[in-house]
Amino acid sequence: MIRTFFLIYGLAVLGGVSVAEYQGWSLNRVDEVLNVPKSVRDNPGSYRSVYGYYHHYTGGK
Amino acid sequence: MSSAGPTPAGPPQVRSLNCPSCGATLTVRSFSHAVTIVCDSCHSILDAQDPRLQVLQKFEAATRDAPLIPLGARGAIRGTQFEVIGFQRRTIQVDGTPYSWHEYVLFNPFKGFRYLTEYDGHWNDVSTLRALPDLSPGASTLTYLGETYRHFQTANASTSYVLGEFPWQVRVGETAEVSDYVAPPRVISSEKTGKEVTWSMGEYIVGSDLWKAFRLPGQAPVPTGVYENQPSPLSANVKMVWSLAAVFLMALTVLLIAFYSIAQDRQVFSQSYEFNTNVKSEASFVTDGFELNGHTSNVELSTTANINNNWIYLNYALINQDTGHAYDFGREVSYYHGYDSDGSWSEGSTHDTVTIPRVPPGHYYLRVEPESDFYHGKIYYTITLKRDVPQITFFGLGVLALLVPAGLITWRSMNFEHLRWAESDSGGVPAGGALLNTVESLVDSVKSTEEDE
Repeated sequence: MIRTFFLIYGLAVLGGVSVAEYQGWSLNRVDEVLNVPKSVRDNPGSYRSVYGYYHHYTGGK
Repeated sequence: MSSAGPTPAGPPQVRSLNCPSCGATLTVRSFSHAVTIVCDSCHSILDAQDPRLQVLQKFEAATRDAPLIPLGARGAIRGTQFEVIGFQRRTIQVDGTPYSWHEYVLFNPFKGFRYLTEYDGHWNDVSTLRALPDLSPGASTLTYLGETYRHFQTANASTSYVLGEFPWQVRVGETAEVSDYVAPPRVISSEKTGKEVTWSMGEYIVGSDLWKAFRLPGQAPVPTGVYENQPSPLSANVKMVWSLAAVFLMALTVLLIAFYSIAQDRQVFSQSYEFNTNVKSEASFVTDGFELNGHTSNVELSTTANINNNWIYLNYALINQDTGHAYDFGREVSYYHGYDSDGSWSEGSTHDTVTIPRVPPGHYYLRVEPESDFYHGKIYYTITLKRDVPQITFFGLGVLALLVPAGLITWRSMNFEHLRWAESDSGGVPAGGALLNTVESLVDSVKSTEEDE
């Protein structure tokens, strides 16, 4: 019972790692935006990133 | 256990006698083999070898113990039919607390005597040893038929209740020094009375198997706790799981080598830029276009900035020229250092790396929008993009995913051993016990896997 479970589990781990590597998964957070207008190429300022207007943390030492 | 087995066929052969003390009917099942017989009515222990059944002892039973397997019950143990003919309760004192177990005398006219012991629902099939075990004086282990048994407990056991017939001169109150040496599922016990030492071997047996063998009604009592020679249900699994984990870890290593070999890991873009913080104007710009080839895979973006006690934040958008599909993210590069009463210190780095997942092939460009504090001069930075970069993180997670369940099963197995040896007067899990066995199992399994390959 445990043998079968661990056998399937181990194969699933190997499969998961293979798929993650092949498809290029990442743990980093990236937002996907669809249909960005082609005009951005000529007018970069027209694009508003969701990560814009960053407030840098100046605490610490 | 099997119901098959030789003899005795037909109904139980019994002989009836009367107790000379109270006149109650006595049943003798082992005939001339019985040395003493106990009257259940008046608790007289009688000399079964004496035709007049001389009373050897009369005892007061504070509590009457009913055998879980009744006298006269017949069942097949390891293919041989046995009949229960005697029953006794024995008690030891540990730190002033009495602990009692029950012993059943079994008889087969051709095979002789055999015993069952029961403590808190844990059963043992016991027979006397035909050869002496190898026991060095003062040693905590003994060897028998090439197997090492560890000392578990030594105590003075007294007989506190008897019933039925016995092949020895049984007495209530008689004591013997009992020592147990365990190698689950077996236990070797010595009983020392005066200068006489009797050795026996018990093998753990599941109560439900006995209930089936003796065709007893109801269910066997549920065992409580972990018994001294109870086989760990997980010990076999520990070796098996670590063997499989070793095989999977090797397969994972092969995968790692394969992915690192076939991955493109190719630089597709690299460009240096300047950000003037003294100028308040639109800072965003787009890079030249570049091609991402191959199958859907990741893109690794690295930023290196020449900052010194400063920071730069970059809003990035990796945009597909053809589809308008963008991957939007922001990265900060900051590096601070100095010297205070604690000595020199530093925070952050001038370099940052991020991996953008699952980017299909196509024509792309980057939109970049740098930010920083105003009036800190010019910040020079370089952006580098690489395609299809192998990620060690997933192999690390894979290793963790394989080790966690194996570790969990090992921990549970070790906990079982801890509970077992917590009851021992040898104190705790012996050195070279469960943990060492587990490590040895792991090493053995790795070795055998290497040999197989």
